[in-house]
Formats: sequence, C-alpha cells, structure tokens
Amino acid sequence: MSAPAQSKSLKAIGEDTWKNKTEKVNAELFTLTYGAIVSQLCADYDRDFQKVNNHLFSMGYNIGVRLVEDFLARTALPRCENMVKTSEMISKCAFKIFLNMTPQVTNWSSEKDAFSLMLDENPLSDFVELPMDAMKQLWYSNVLSGVLKGALEMVQLDCDVWFVSDILKGDPQTELRIKLNKVLKDEVPIGED
Amino acid sequence: MKSKEDINQSDKKMDRPNVASNAPTVADTQEMTEQQKLQHQLQIFQNSLPKVSQTAYMMLLNECVPLSMAVERKRGDCNSKLDRNCDDEVSQAGEQLQKIHVSPPLDPPSHQLCRELYEADEEKHNRVLDRLRNIGFEIGNKITELLVFSNNPNLQFKDMDLLSVMKFICRDVWRQMFNKQIDNLKTNHRGTFYLFDYDYQPIQSFALDSESSEKELQMVKPFLEIAVGVIKGVLASIGHAPEDVICLASYVDRPDEKPKASFTKGVSFHVQITM
Repeated sequence: MSAPAQSKSLKAIGEDTWKNKTEKVNAELFTLTYGAIVSQLCADYDRDFQKVNNHLFSMGYNIGVRLVEDFLARTALPRCENMVKTSEMISKCAFKIFLNMTPQVTNWSSEKDAFSLMLDENPLSDFVELPMDAMKQLWYSNVLSGVLKGALEMVQLDCDVWFVSDILKGDPQTELRIKLNKVLKDEVPIGED
Repeated sequence: MKSKEDINQSDKKMDRPNVASNAPTVADTQEMTEQQKLQHQLQIFQNSLPKVSQTAYMMLLNECVPLSMAVERKRGDCNSKLDRNCDDEVSQAGEQLQKIHVSPPLDPPSHQLCRELYEADEEKHNRVLDRLRNIGFEIGNKITELLVFSNNPNLQFKDMDLLSVMKFICRDVWRQMFNKQIDNLKTNHRGTFYLFDYDYQPIQSFALDSESSEKELQMVKPFLEIAVGVIKGVLASIGHAPEDVICLASYVDRPDEKPKASFTKGVSFHVQITM
C-alpha cells in the first residue's frame, strides 16, 4: 500500500468511528466542565499556577492510560512502525474520535522523533479568556499533554509532551509538542514468563 | 413539616409526575402540539451543535474524584511540614522541569487515590467530597446558562414552579450530561423530591456484580457527589440559594423489571428545598 493511501484509510477509520460508533455529548458541556475543574484547582492552590499545571498533567496521565484501551478496542488498529505513523494516528484517529478535531502535524525534528500538533480549535478552551496573572503561567489545556503522555506510554512509547504556545496566552497559535525518548521493551509481568 | 420517617413511609403515596413524556391534557391539545414542535426544534438544534465523545467526557468527570484526593494529599503534605518554603520548593522544581521539558511529577494512579479516599479520616473525606460538590455546583450553574441560550421550551424565568424546575433537571440537565433522563421522580409537593436514576451513567464502567461488597459500594460512592453539586448548582442559578437546599445521594435497589445493568445499584438523589 502506498503512503497516501494508508493515511487516507486512517482518516476514513477515524471518521467512520466518530460517525457510527461513538456516543456524543455537547462540546460546550465538555468545555464548561473542564473550566469548573481548572477553576477549582486554581482556588485550591491559591492561584499557584505551576501546581495547577502539574495536577492537570497528572490528571490527564491517569485518563490517558485508560483512554488508550478504549481507543484500541474501538478501532482495532495495529502497532505503528514509526513516529510518522504514530503522529497520523494521533491526529486523524485519536483526536478525531474523542474530540472531533484533526490537529495539523508539523515541525518535525530532523531525526523524525519529535513533532508538533497545531490545535486550531480546542474544545477544552473554547470561549475561555484567562485573567492576567493566569496568562503568564497557566497552561490551561495541560490535561491534554498528560493524556498523550499516559496513552503513548501504554503503547510502549516513552515520550515527553508539552505545550510550546497557547492562544490563551496571547500566542498566535496553540502548539503541542511530542518528543520520543525511547521505545520501551514489552515487559513480561513478574511471574508470568 | 413532616419528619424524615414520615416522608419515607408516605413514599408510596407520593406523586409520580411523569418525566418522560408530555401527556396532553384534555384542555390544551392544541398547545401541546405547539410544545412538541418546540421540543422537536430544540432537538434539531441540539443535534447541530459541536460534539465530543461521551467516553472522553465521562472519563474527565470521573477523574475529578482521584484528582480531588490528590489535591487533598498535596495540601496536607505542605501543611504538615509546617514549612512555608514547601510551596516555593515545589514551584521552583516545577519551573525547572518545565524548562528542560521533562514531564512533571505524577500523582499516584487513580485506583490508589480512590482507595486512599476510602481509607481517609472523616474530616479529610468530607473535604474531598466538598471539593467534588464545588466542581459540580459550578457545572450546574453554567449548564442552566447553556440550556437557556438554546431556547429550551422547558425553561422560563417567569412563573416557574418548583416541580417544573425539578422536571427541567430530570429531563434536560440529565439528558445534556448523561444522555439519559432520570428514571423516576417522586414528590410530596412540599419541597421534598426523590430523583431515581437506575443506570447512573458515570458509574456504569465500574462492573460490580450482585456479590459486590459494602466496601466496594462505598468506594464508588464519591462518584455520585458531582451530580449532587450539579443539582444544587442548577437550583441556585434558578433562585434557590444553596443554604436552602439539601441534596443527598444514596444507593437504591433497581426495580426487577429493569434489564440488568453493569452496575448493580441504582441511585437516589434526595432533594429537600426550604421555601
């Protein structure tokens, strides 16, 4: 199969799963629920946004390790052979199925081990405006970094995931960076060899 | 005012207003078709709105429970050290981590946090539940706004009696959040309501069978608190101040005629409003 045909089929799988096999809720409900969570954290930590960032990341990680199971069960997609394939699967399938969006994949490193997702739309932060103090430090959508970190780790990809820029901070675009550290070995659980 | 036992005993005598359908009365069949038309338009409008996956939403909602415990833990740590620097150290370490793009420190996995919540002393436990209700309250508050702007025919600001408000929660709010309605609503028409949800969506992913122990049921119970907050939040946004509203969630047996669900118990939300 040629490369374009393959990527087209990933796109088709994503769209088909979203259209026919996914129960849906109002995106605005999702936005306001996430907003309630972030504002509770900001109150709990007296606007120490660094701690809020960490908690959001950690919350995302705990979601990601379970969300990936749902993803694999829903799509039955095989293992990706390289990061290029991984990036397409994240953008065209995972983001499509869960958030109904397809971020653009760009800014590849020369070793092809790191790339960026450009979030033109972001259902976590639609219509959100940050107060001045939060604009400086808060990575509002940081739960997404955590989700990707947790999900990728479960498929043996040890990655770092972080936001490079965010429209909410006054940046021209929202960029999420993913960098592969190493491919983990399949570990046999203790006592099961 | 009836005592609580009275209310329970008169349970069977309580009204069961029909939540599911607008059964037309003899007088205003014409008006009901108008109502149905509006309802239909609302549905079309709702369907046209941007959507995300319900699985993702439920996971976000449920993750609030371990998250709230993680917050409790971290705040407890800092207090017990009696060291003002504690905060700063964590922050500085975090900032450094951010600079070299290493992942921030992780809280324990969700299941461990849920266990810790179960084992926590009462004071801690209550603080975590309060945190969850706060999140729910905020959601409830905003959900009214969301539904007002969708021209919902079930919501008016003028002449909205308590029963209509509760029906609005059972039907519109529940459908918006959980893609289903409350199964049964009972009231004594004096400010006491029981909302029964026999398949409360957020806990359906916890497969507990009929053998499930009391301990397991108690561990799942915090997952009901966000909905408690939502109910109070919606009521507050319509003019019933939180101090006038008591809302408690508990387990109830599912009726035998209901098809088997993955979670063995139904949930009852007991709402009492002082007027």
